[in-house]
Amino acid sequence: MEVEREVFLDAPPAEVWEALTDEEQLEDWFANDVEFDLDRGGVFRWDDGDVRHAVVEEVDAERRLAIRWWDPDGADESEVTFTLEEIPAGTRLVVTETASCDWAWALEAKAHAGRQRLLSAV
Amino acid sequence: MPEDSVFSALSDPSRRRLLESLAGRESASLTELAADLPVTRQAVSKHLAALGEAGLVEGQRAGRETRYRLTPQPLGEALAWMERIGDRWDERLARLREHLAGR
Repeated sequence: MEVEREVFLDAPPAEVWEALTDEEQLEDWFANDVEFDLDRGGVFRWDDGDVRHAVVEEVDAERRLAIRWWDPDGADESEVTFTLEEIPAGTRLVVTETASCDWAWALEAKAHAGRQRLLSAV
Repeated sequence: MPEDSVFSALSDPSRRRLLESLAGRESASLTELAADLPVTRQAVSKHLAALGEAGLVEGQRAGRETRYRLTPQPLGEALAWMERIGDRWDERLARLREHLAGR
C-alpha cells in the first residue's frame, strides 16, 4: 500500500534537497529532534512521542532520496522516497510512502483518488 | 489482526479475483465461485482457506453447503493507514513550503 503526494515548491531543487537532508533544516519542518545524515541515516523524534529510525537506501543528489524507516520496536516499516524535478517555477516534489508488503491492488483506485496536488501560488 | 497473512493472501492474483467475485454478492458457495474462476474447485477451496486465515473471508454453513462472504475489515485498516500517513505528509509538506518561503 502506498501513499503519494505531489507539491510544487517555489525554490530550486538544490534548496529543496538541502531542506530534505540537512539536520538543522529538517528540525525546522520535518521533526522536532533530528539526528540524520546521508551516510548513516539516523533517528527522527516528534514531540508527540513518535520516533522513527531510518536508513538511507538511495541518494541521487538533488534528484532522488529513498529511506527505509521503522518504529523503535522494529515494526511498522515503510519506505519513503522523495523525487525532485526542476520546473520553471522551482521544484516539483513527489513523496511516496510505501509499506513493505505489496497488497496495494485493492487500494490503488482509492490511492489515486486521494492523491492530492498542493499547488503553490507561483 | 494477522497482518502478514493479509499481505500474503492478497499477493495471489487468483485470490484477488476471488475477492472481487465475493465483493459483488452477499455470499457465494464454492461451486458458484469456482464457476467464476479459471481454476479448479480444489484450488478455490485452498484460496478460500487462505483468505479466511487473513480475516478477509468468512464461511458459514447453510444446510449442506458453506456460504462464503467478504469480511473486509482488514482492508479498512489498510485504508486507515493510508489516510493517517497521507495526513502526516500533507502537514509536513505544508511546513516544508513555509520553511522554504522563510529562507
